[in-house]
Amino acid sequence: MVNYLLRRLLFMVPTILGITFMVFMLLALAPGGIGAGLAVQGGQMSDTSKVAQMQAYLEDRYGLNDPVVVQYFRWLGRISPVKFGERDLRTPTNERVSAPRAINAPEMAWLFPAPAAVQVTFTPTVGEGQREEQVVEFKKLQREAEGARRAYIGSVRMFKDTLADYVRAMGKPWTERLEPKGGADPEKFRDIALDAANPKCEALKKAAADMHAKWSLAEEARQRAYIGFKAGPYPPSGYAVIPGAMYLDSPDLGVAFSKNRPVWDLIAAALPVTLLLNLIAFPISYLIAVPTGILASVRRGGGFDVFTGFLYLSLYSIPTVLAGVFAIGFLANKQYLGLFPVSGMHDSAAVGYTFLSYTDSAGVWHCGWLLDTLWHVALPVMCLVYGSFAVLSKQTRAAMLENFNADYVRTAKAKGVPRNDVVMRHVFRNSLLPLITMFVGIFPAMLAGSVVIERIFSVPGMGSLVIEAIDLRDREIILANTFMIACVNLLALLLADILYAAADPRVSYE
Amino acid sequence: MTQHLDIANPARTSPLLQVADLAVSFDNGAGPRVQAVAGVSMTVHPNQTLAVVGESGCGKSVTAMSTMQLIPRPPGRFDRGTILFDDGGSTKDILSLSEREMLRIRGGKIAMIFQEPMTSLNPVYTIGDQLIEAILLHQHVAPDQAWQLAIQAMKDVGIPKAEERMRAYPHQFSGGMRQRVMIAMALACQPKLLLADEPTTALDVTIQAQILELLRELQRSRGMGIMLITHNLGVVAENADVVCVMYAGRVVEYARVFELFDNPLHPYTRGLFNSIPLLTQRKHRLTTVEEVVHDPAQFKLPGLAGDLVPWWPDAPAGVKPAIAADRDEYALVQVAPTRWVGCFNTKWVEDHPSPRPDLDYRRDDM
Repeated sequence: MVNYLLRRLLFMVPTILGITFMVFMLLALAPGGIGAGLAVQGGQMSDTSKVAQMQAYLEDRYGLNDPVVVQYFRWLGRISPVKFGERDLRTPTNERVSAPRAINAPEMAWLFPAPAAVQVTFTPTVGEGQREEQVVEFKKLQREAEGARRAYIGSVRMFKDTLADYVRAMGKPWTERLEPKGGADPEKFRDIALDAANPKCEALKKAAADMHAKWSLAEEARQRAYIGFKAGPYPPSGYAVIPGAMYLDSPDLGVAFSKNRPVWDLIAAALPVTLLLNLIAFPISYLIAVPTGILASVRRGGGFDVFTGFLYLSLYSIPTVLAGVFAIGFLANKQYLGLFPVSGMHDSAAVGYTFLSYTDSAGVWHCGWLLDTLWHVALPVMCLVYGSFAVLSKQTRAAMLENFNADYVRTAKAKGVPRNDVVMRHVFRNSLLPLITMFVGIFPAMLAGSVVIERIFSVPGMGSLVIEAIDLRDREIILANTFMIACVNLLALLLADILYAAADPRVSYE
Repeated sequence: MTQHLDIANPARTSPLLQVADLAVSFDNGAGPRVQAVAGVSMTVHPNQTLAVVGESGCGKSVTAMSTMQLIPRPPGRFDRGTILFDDGGSTKDILSLSEREMLRIRGGKIAMIFQEPMTSLNPVYTIGDQLIEAILLHQHVAPDQAWQLAIQAMKDVGIPKAEERMRAYPHQFSGGMRQRVMIAMALACQPKLLLADEPTTALDVTIQAQILELLRELQRSRGMGIMLITHNLGVVAENADVVCVMYAGRVVEYARVFELFDNPLHPYTRGLFNSIPLLTQRKHRLTTVEEVVHDPAQFKLPGLAGDLVPWWPDAPAGVKPAIAADRDEYALVQVAPTRWVGCFNTKWVEDHPSPRPDLDYRRDDM
């Protein structure tokens, strides 16, 4: 059994790699590609060259200018608990700080010789009692490095645009090597020469000089930031396995492009909401659907069977969108019944509530946080639950009926086992396997949330988070969500197999 | 114990089970009801094996299931008849008992074993659990005592290492072993009557012989009545005391085993015997039952009072006698002191009512 479990756990690794790779590639293939959201953000600026520079900067910052496979492996490196290279630092607020990234050398070194290498000597603030100063200094160094880098990336973009203008001035056949959108890839113009007669020649020289100057500044700032990083303003993150080369750390879900916040923070805010809804909804649907399914199978074709079958199928047929809107329109609308709140998870004053309800000395009743929350989730939970009865109870009923005519049930009856014991001890016990299969499905479903219901009731859960991320093609959130649900799903399937063995002695993994 | 004395003394024992004119029909959904059993009578005495033979669908199993009220109703229905069972001195009509009273009878007084040992045990419980469940239902004993009784029951049916096997699951047993477990479970509460519904059909021949030998031994030591349902005439010849041949939900012949084999009277019974291949006889093809029952010559019952004609649903032309239109055309007629044959219900038969078949006979008696 232990061997089997280990084998299964090991097989999960390639499965998860496959799932994340597929999702990553799908995102990369989606119209607009991974960075579509960024392009949208840049669109607010009027100056087109500024927009281009902004986009270039963001692409550099999130590594979007590398090939997709490289990006995928970089993402894997972050998500992997086993990490290679320089250890990250971890701030007291639990944020990760990585070493400053290397800067690409200036373009077209064959035409404009690269500036001399930069070697910065810099003594950072270190020592006892100077922790705070050190952190302040490091943050300043980080800011400066980021600013200089941004300026350099912008100048590279400017240089490329100028190069394109220069090529255009040269006319055919040179212009044929330009990109379809009009940009120029310096690598394609290795055989180009500086021609003073070209009207754009001076501009190109100026752009190159500007690029070189910005590179020197960016490289200096980077080296200073690196020295500051090495001085360790924060404690290192994770556990070193081979110092300087390999360490163990929790998976880094990255930073959401669209919100500029760590993905983990976004999930930590959305997940409890979804879990709360589902933890109320799932038990309700199971506690109602399974017993009614059993009863329906015992009185097959009887009034109860027909009635529940009709009722559940009718409920199942009502679209959630419609039910949600009606629930708000009739039950929550103040013009009608006004029994429930229209949206949200808590009353606006709920922060100050006690957990349980109580009556104060003046005889005024305070509803408390618990009741307030239940009151708010009542309608969303109702919408989550009503459609689930049909499938669950029909599955239970079918599983039961399959066993009612089994030979061992006849044996049990012939032994004189009372009817109820025949149903529960013999028939139901043997009908557990399909129920287990259904049951483990709720674990990934718990995390996934319902987009429709969360939208209708303005619940800030996982469904809302993910659908927004998909709109903006925010790779990090989508990937983090996929990764999480894939892991839970695989573990749930493993749990199902363990439960099968517990429910049926014929199932063995030896 | 009294039953043992009865064996020593060939005086009559009182019957354990008397099925009288039982008719059971099933709702077919659309169309007329299916008459699975249409007037069956038979008697089982203590320490006696009554073999019920006939082809599939002739009503053997329905008769046995009715004896335990295990016919699902609906779609099943008891149309008429009684099933009298001697429950320790007081005779009860099984068909009139409530579900509550039946729970006491089932497994406690009348037990049943089935033809599919592979699927007749619940796969998710241990053998011990299932034996103890049966014991606790019918005997007021503590659980640890039940455990001991279960081990004893396993030893009684010849299962080695019974204590170990108690914790095993059915799938860890072979077919023969599972049938032994089924027998142990059926007999754990010392029933007076055992309904064995083709107990050896799914087993190979050597295991068949072992299981039948085991049943015979247990029957002798407990004085138990057995209704042995089978379509294996070899099994009948080896084990039965009295044979009841059924066809189309009716008894066509009822006799002591040796008399039946020596001189079958009903054409169907003859047909059955003729269709058995013989080692000593070289045959191109076997005689079928169809050929026999289509031969008018087979419908003569010579040397008997009245002009009795064996009953058959589609008797050959010229054979069927005149029968009053409002009468059931079938009647079970006592043609000799120890023989009954299903005959056409002629005027003569009506005028000479026969007693119900009842033979207090065991093959070891002579």
